[in-house]
Amino acid sequence: MKALIVDDSLTIRRIVRKALAIVGINDAVDAEDGCAALEAINKTQDFDLILLDWNMPKMSGIDALRTLRQSGNKTPVIMVTTEAEKSRVIDAIKTGANDYLIKPFSPDQLAAKVKNVVAAPQ
Amino acid sequence: MYMASTRVVGDPAAAIRAARCLCVALEVAAVDVSYVNPFVESVGSVFSTMLGVNPRRLAVRISSGTNGGGARLTSLIGISGRMHGCVALCFPPETALKLASKMLGTELTEINDEVLDAISELVNIVAGSAKAKFNADPPLQLGLPTVVEGVTYRVKYPSKSIWLEVPFSSDAGDFSMEVTYNPN
Repeated sequence: MKALIVDDSLTIRRIVRKALAIVGINDAVDAEDGCAALEAINKTQDFDLILLDWNMPKMSGIDALRTLRQSGNKTPVIMVTTEAEKSRVIDAIKTGANDYLIKPFSPDQLAAKVKNVVAAPQ
Repeated sequence: MYMASTRVVGDPAAAIRAARCLCVALEVAAVDVSYVNPFVESVGSVFSTMLGVNPRRLAVRISSGTNGGGARLTSLIGISGRMHGCVALCFPPETALKLASKMLGTELTEINDEVLDAISELVNIVAGSAKAKFNADPPLQLGLPTVVEGVTYRVKYPSKSIWLEVPFSSDAGDFSMEVTYNPN
């Protein structure tokens, strides 16, 4: 299983990578913003999971998600973000996110979300 | 604060210090400090969830515009929308190293890009967590965090803004948060 971790913070990308290892996902690629994420997806079509921050330079996570879904890509996406308002969560789900995790989070919380999303029928 | 001012008669230097304390106390009393509470709560939840650190909040005071009380590393982020403001976390280098080491799960011994990124993300998460508590509709917006390194800088925010400084002590060392926040 291969994951794409999209966050402008190196720290968060490392924390997410460790959380993925808890559920046995050791193959992960980093992207620093929405544009880099879309480039990585266009280059490598075989991601099984995308962990996506919201606030990033160049292109936000929500814009990247919108572009991704409009192109027909159905890879499961978990938003991992500081945006904690209910309206933001609804926006993300309506745009096509499969799940939503609000920072701060523990690695175990992220691992549980990943397990659920990966196990769910797509 | 008021009682202190009555005990220093005969010592001019102490009287001046006490008078300054009294002025600050009166200034704090005149300011609605309740807006700082969501930020203080967020520091507690973010530090305990992500770092396993439980900071103890000390007395709130007025800041002259953040320099972190001599801190060398300050991470800042702007908040905009129906209210606007700025939040800063100010760390002595030793505290920043310990917190970044905990966050990344690896021992860091010098201030480098990893440490700067970690404290930058901390202020991002603290501000994000706090802004949700204001229940603004549409939600308040965060800028991108910035880290400043140095001891003599001063942050200038729109005139008449008041910065509140909230010092914390913790097992990872002392640090402070400075917040300015105004309705638009």
